[in-house]
Amino acid sequence: MTTAAWIVLLAPLLGSLYIALSSKTLSSRTHGWIGTAAVAASFVASVVTLIALEGRGEEERQVVSTAWEYAVTAGLDAQLSILIDPLSVLMICVVSGVSTLIHLYSVGYMASDRGYSRFFAYLNFFVFSMLLLVLAANFVLLIVGWAFVGAASYFLISFWYRRTTASAAGIKAFVINVAGDVGLVLGTFFILRETGSVDFLATFEAVPEAFGRNDGDLVAGCILLLVGAFAKSAQVPLHTWLPDAMEGPTPVSALIHAATMVTAGVYLIARMHPLFEQAPAAADVGAIIGCMTMLIAATIGLVVTDLKRVIAYSTMSQIGYMVMAVSSAAYAAGMFHLMTHAFFKALLFMAAGSVIAALAGSQDLDRMSGFRRAMPFTFGCMVIGGLALSGVPPFSGFFSKDEILSLLIARDDWHIVLGVLGYVGALLTAIYTFRMIFRAFGGEPGEEARALEEGHLFHAAQPTNPASGEVEDTDVGFPGPDHHIAEREGTMKVAMGALAVLATVGGLVQVPKVNELLHGFLEPTFAESRFYEELEPSGTLVVVGLLVGAAVGVLGIFIAYVLWVKQPARPAAIRARLGPLHHVFSRKWYFDEAIGLLLVRPGAWLGRFAGSVIERGLVNGVFVGGTSSAVRAASAAVRGVQTGYLRYYAALLLVGLTGLGAYFLVST
Amino acid sequence: MIVLAQAEVSGPPIDWAALAPVIALTTAACVVLLVGLARAPFVRIRVVPVLAALGLAVTIGLCVWQWGENESVVSGALAMDDLTRALTVLFCLAGMGTVALSWRSAAAVEAGEGEYYALLLSSVLGMLILVAAQNFVALFLGFELLSIPLYVLCATHMRREHSLESGLKYLIIGSVGSATLLYGLALIYGATGSTDFAGVAAAVSELGSDALLFAGLALVVAGLAFKASVAPFHQWTPDVYEGAPTPVTAFMAVATKAAAFGVLLRLFDVALIGAVSTWGPALAALAAVTIVVGNVGAIGQSSLKRMLAYSSVAQAGYMLAGVVVSTRLGIQATVFYLGAYLVMNLAAFAVIVARERETGAGDDISSLYGLGADRPWLAWPITIAMLSLAGFPATAGFFGKLFLIEAAVDNEYAWLGVAIVLGSALSLVYYLRVIAAVWMRSPSEAVALASGRVGGGGGASRPAMAGGSPEADAEGGRPRGDGSTEGEDVGARAAVPARRADGDEVAVGDGGGRGARASGARVRQPEVALVAVLCAVVTIALGIYPDPLFDVARDAGAAIASLV
Amino acid sequence: MTIHLSILLFWPLALAVLGAVVPRRVAPLCALVGSLVPLGYVVVMLLDFEAGARGLQYLTDDEWIPDLGISYKLGVDGLNLWLVALTSLLFAASALWLTFRPPARASQFALHFGIAETAVLGAFLAQDLGVFVLFFDLMLVPFYFLVGIWGGPERVAAAVKMVVYTLVGSLLMLAAAGATAVLAARGEGELSFAFSDLAARPLPESTQKWLFVAFGLAFLIKMPAFPFHGWMPDAYRAMPLPALAVFSGVVSKVAAYGFLRIALPFFPEAAQDFQTILMVLAVLSILYGSVMAFTQTNARLILGYSSIAQLGFITLGIFAVDGAGAGAQGALLQAVNHGLVVAPMFFVVALLAERAGGAEDIRDMGGIAFRAPVLAGLFLVATLATLAMPGSANFVGEFLILLGVFEESMTFAFLASLGVVLAAVYALRMYIRTMHNRTGPAVTSFELSLRDGMVLVPLVLAIVAFALYPQGALTHSEPAVEAVMAPALQAGAGGPQAAEAAP
Repeated sequence: MTTAAWIVLLAPLLGSLYIALSSKTLSSRTHGWIGTAAVAASFVASVVTLIALEGRGEEERQVVSTAWEYAVTAGLDAQLSILIDPLSVLMICVVSGVSTLIHLYSVGYMASDRGYSRFFAYLNFFVFSMLLLVLAANFVLLIVGWAFVGAASYFLISFWYRRTTASAAGIKAFVINVAGDVGLVLGTFFILRETGSVDFLATFEAVPEAFGRNDGDLVAGCILLLVGAFAKSAQVPLHTWLPDAMEGPTPVSALIHAATMVTAGVYLIARMHPLFEQAPAAADVGAIIGCMTMLIAATIGLVVTDLKRVIAYSTMSQIGYMVMAVSSAAYAAGMFHLMTHAFFKALLFMAAGSVIAALAGSQDLDRMSGFRRAMPFTFGCMVIGGLALSGVPPFSGFFSKDEILSLLIARDDWHIVLGVLGYVGALLTAIYTFRMIFRAFGGEPGEEARALEEGHLFHAAQPTNPASGEVEDTDVGFPGPDHHIAEREGTMKVAMGALAVLATVGGLVQVPKVNELLHGFLEPTFAESRFYEELEPSGTLVVVGLLVGAAVGVLGIFIAYVLWVKQPARPAAIRARLGPLHHVFSRKWYFDEAIGLLLVRPGAWLGRFAGSVIERGLVNGVFVGGTSSAVRAASAAVRGVQTGYLRYYAALLLVGLTGLGAYFLVST
Repeated sequence: MIVLAQAEVSGPPIDWAALAPVIALTTAACVVLLVGLARAPFVRIRVVPVLAALGLAVTIGLCVWQWGENESVVSGALAMDDLTRALTVLFCLAGMGTVALSWRSAAAVEAGEGEYYALLLSSVLGMLILVAAQNFVALFLGFELLSIPLYVLCATHMRREHSLESGLKYLIIGSVGSATLLYGLALIYGATGSTDFAGVAAAVSELGSDALLFAGLALVVAGLAFKASVAPFHQWTPDVYEGAPTPVTAFMAVATKAAAFGVLLRLFDVALIGAVSTWGPALAALAAVTIVVGNVGAIGQSSLKRMLAYSSVAQAGYMLAGVVVSTRLGIQATVFYLGAYLVMNLAAFAVIVARERETGAGDDISSLYGLGADRPWLAWPITIAMLSLAGFPATAGFFGKLFLIEAAVDNEYAWLGVAIVLGSALSLVYYLRVIAAVWMRSPSEAVALASGRVGGGGGASRPAMAGGSPEADAEGGRPRGDGSTEGEDVGARAAVPARRADGDEVAVGDGGGRGARASGARVRQPEVALVAVLCAVVTIALGIYPDPLFDVARDAGAAIASLV
Repeated sequence: MTIHLSILLFWPLALAVLGAVVPRRVAPLCALVGSLVPLGYVVVMLLDFEAGARGLQYLTDDEWIPDLGISYKLGVDGLNLWLVALTSLLFAASALWLTFRPPARASQFALHFGIAETAVLGAFLAQDLGVFVLFFDLMLVPFYFLVGIWGGPERVAAAVKMVVYTLVGSLLMLAAAGATAVLAARGEGELSFAFSDLAARPLPESTQKWLFVAFGLAFLIKMPAFPFHGWMPDAYRAMPLPALAVFSGVVSKVAAYGFLRIALPFFPEAAQDFQTILMVLAVLSILYGSVMAFTQTNARLILGYSSIAQLGFITLGIFAVDGAGAGAQGALLQAVNHGLVVAPMFFVVALLAERAGGAEDIRDMGGIAFRAPVLAGLFLVATLATLAMPGSANFVGEFLILLGVFEESMTFAFLASLGVVLAAVYALRMYIRTMHNRTGPAVTSFELSLRDGMVLVPLVLAIVAFALYPQGALTHSEPAVEAVMAPALQAGAGGPQAAEAAP
């Protein structure tokens, strides 16, 4: 089993290395297939691991396998070891599975891109990093994976590196993620200091003795861990990089910024549940932030006019649900939603990608209309994804979201508020999702749509960057001149189809009160959890929850239908009435501005200050300038006395003599 | 024979064997003087110097031969011990170096070889007497015998008014110094009632603090400070060094310094050791002042000889520290440093002499420009000399400084040690400037500088007496020439030509500067190059394996029994 | 087997001198052999070195200058093993670079280069304070020539400034060293500079203080640390890049090493007294260096200021003086890492300048990655290592440092961790401004040549190897670090100073 697990890790790594090193020799298409094969192999291995794990008894379902000592010295015991337990295995299955499909999609989608091989090298590297993150058996290795996915995400966001906007987005994402890493590191210190180990299992063993309930150090540590989680999972206020990350190619958005990486925070909290249960204060912080993110993102999603950014904010919002869940001890529900979300959100992004391709790279909703006839398949996928996202039965999102909410209410304390807000969020979700769908696919076919119906693909005369308007540098690829996709590519259809199926039926693995497969499967990981078994919504609550959830979803869709299909004038009117509110939403609640004001500008100012004042004044001024001018003055003085006139010499001579004489006579 | 027999009866018992070095030098001086009268130019120009060198060599031989025998001769007037011998060897080596440097110098010719070399030898003799002296009379005898020939030697380059001027200056100030010294000795005699060191020492120790004695001390300190060019009695040094013929300057810089410190050691660490608590702090203060004055003074200079003059002042400060600590370790350190100082300074002066003859720039620093590109045999010696003077490791200077520091710290003068290192930090500014001139400048820059000069800085036209120093011109209200302005801001000055150099590859380009005017026509002067290279090699050798010199220093230190 | 450190030490010098006298054609060969052979020798030593063993190995101990108490004593232990390896590696890489791109008057360049290698190796290998000081001061001489003769604009001024400024510290150290030996020998018998003797002869605290200040000043200036880095910008601007690679790579490490080898074990009480001050200086260096680094546009200076920050981390780790010694362990590892990372960066700067029409200003670069993917890849690895990306050995180093600091004082740990974030900013900024975005006006990008690859690839491979198995270095250094930290720890346990460190 352990070998299989290691293969899970190694396959994508080797794939990435091979592609990178052979980039000169092989034709690019082959690279696409190699990459896909590597990830597929990793998926197979994951499944093998899963089966093997199920084959073991309840107790032996937490296995640690060590490769070699990484850094074992001076009170640090970091091994290069992986932890195989239900939680990590579930994650690796989801990650490698979805990744396989998205690789498949990319084989077609990136076909015309000059950076094809590079893209797959990066993509495989990302998958490796993500799996490393998931399988890590100690904090140090976790942080390594954590940073690797950050780096991979940076590579892929600024994949079209000639785009200044892409570079900017990349560095933004990277820096915020590094801030998250630092949070993790410091958090680890707090815990390591008391437990004396960075190994997960050992730490969890030690926690009860090491920390009292809500022990200050533990809470501080957990909150620092949360900082890491928020940075990675784009939770308020560390979320600003995610919308910008949409600069990357669409498959990247689908894989990294929807399905896998951004959910790492959720996984982290679930993984650290023994700590959080010992520090409820920190857990509550997590739950509240999650809820805030969920609502804020949803409101922004209502007004954004960039197709991919709508989905991005929806991602934030959905992750808000998951964070809320796992911080409120609804672990299984959280992971469940993580899984279903991976399916339908990846699907949505793929569909969006195919629309964007039809628009030759433009992501502007205002330019889209009436694509339903032009791209029926895409349309179908988009609708399925939309229904799943809005939580309409029987699609997957319906079960997962409602389980979270019912469990929140089942907590039977202030968490009920979160639950209720969750339903509000669900309403908003349904509205913005179908606003997007109606605007893109409904209405009269636009220029591009018609071009597509007539069977040829629209091409902008001169490709320009929609974000900055600068002329695209097609050297590095997308949107290249020979760019002809949309939903023509078979591989793309296969991938989308598969995900559509999963998005539809994925929810059935965990139907409340009927078959709680996932719950049972994860049980070993959460064996010692205080809530895992106890937290159990009553039958009525479950039924009511499901009904309300379904109703809310339908209602939302109906509202969207009314607003953007029946009475297209309405939105403008509403916008006019709620001017200020709309402004706040459309300016994304001013988070970017705030960060710029609080961090970026002061930093830049500090830099200028250091350069101008300290460097000139102190470092060069006082130390160098001061000394040298003093010396210069002295030497000028000495040379001044050195007149060459004997009378002066005689004078000084007398002075010296008197001085000596005086000294000696005084000392008698 | 009969005369000798009579002498035995009348005079005090004299150990002729022990006196051999003195005799050798005296004879050499006389012989040289006589042979110098010969008509044949070959004899005068070739034989005379060889004879002089021979005399010095013999003296060295005798010293080495008699090594280890400590006896006081001429009824305790002179102590022929290892300290004396060690220093004598130094004098003679310096003398031989000077002979080599004077081989083709105009000075010797103008003065007449006979006189020139005879004076040199008698000056060496004076030094020998001085450091061997065991009583005030012998001391003063030696003092004058050393000084007077030097006054003349400084002036031997008669066609250059500088030479005359420096001779005159030296004469006047020197005699003031001698007078002060003599007066001081008289007072001490008055206070202690004895002229020989042993007696004085005994008297001082019981005398305690006595006004007369201390007044005498003050005067003696001042008088010797002149010779050792210790601030504030150093002012003659730059002018005289610059004016005197360079070989003579070299001799003064090395030998006179050694002699002065030899007598300082004898006088203060033997005769006046009883009053160390009094003169110790005074000398320490003088040392500190000297270190500062010498180093900051040197920073401004563009005349290499002036620069080395100030540097010699600074070095005097370092060595004074060795005297101050008044322990055997201190004496050893001083002697060691004197030895190191000899080789590194001779190397530098040799190169200056060579360049003086090759370029029109005189001893101006620009005469060294582009040396590194095409003249390794001159470039490396001066580079090594400068590094050693600055106290860089793997040179004799490094261990010299370290030794002095250890001595100082060992006797509670740690702050003097710090003063020494801070001083050497300062000294880097001007030593490195020389190295920069050698390696990092192109001859073309020198040309540019020369053409850029106002009132020709290269030491060509300066009024006599009025001021034998660029500084005087400044006082005279006339532009100072770039003599000292160029030095004032190392940064800026170094920067400007550097930029100029980057234009043409000459600066870095492989030996590009070869044959450019400023780099000067080659003059065949193997003996000068030989001196330079030899000294440089010794400098490095002592920097890697200083033990031989340490042994000498140890024996020399052992000679003075009165110390721990 | 028996390794003769003297061979390792003087081989480069010997070959360099040889290269200066043999005809021009073979001179470069001499330089190459002069630095490749030591590398091979060191590799043998690494394999042969007995890990986990206490005390010195391959000890060379001969009488040299008894009058001064200096003995010719060399030795290797966990403290200097990897630094010696780093030195030989970087010098070999630079020598290779120089054989491919011979400068004007190559043989002379090689001479100074060889002297430099011997000097640095000597400083690391020395087991006698006198020898250490000798080589420590000697290091500067060759670099004076390298800057002054082969440097860029303002080279002479920069050279003089560098030497004078740094030697002020070094000479103070010379005085202090002499004092240390003399005062330690008081009533203890023979005057001796040997580390072993000095360790056995503790000094009174009052004496320790001023000695520590002198040594500390010398090391802080050499590093350089804020605010003593006044000489750095000019020197870095002027120094030829192959020389700068080794200068920034190893010379600054000698200072850090000096703290560990000399300042802590011989002046433990003083170290405790000044702990807080030094930690403050270190944190200031980290923050100041990082902030300056992301305001610079000259690639050399970005790296220069980033080195200030990195050395701030190292100093911080050393003076954390935490019980487990994590700080010192991390500092030592980080010293090696930083050298390993910064040297290739400087070579990359040279290559970038070639492609940007000689400009070293990142504003004149951009889009270079396009036709030079391999170069971009290597540069990227180095960049990520520079910003201590987890997974690189630099991360392990910084992790241990911060861990040690955290044990000692939470405040300092948090402040220092700011530096980690800033590092990401300036390192990526440099990478992106040079490699990404639109192609600069004067830029003509082309792929890494095979010869440059021969220089860069091994270095980057070394980075990767360290990243995969940092434990290798850690096991070697652990006992040695414990040994040197012990006195300071006792002092800390004894005095009230331990509390003082945690505000």
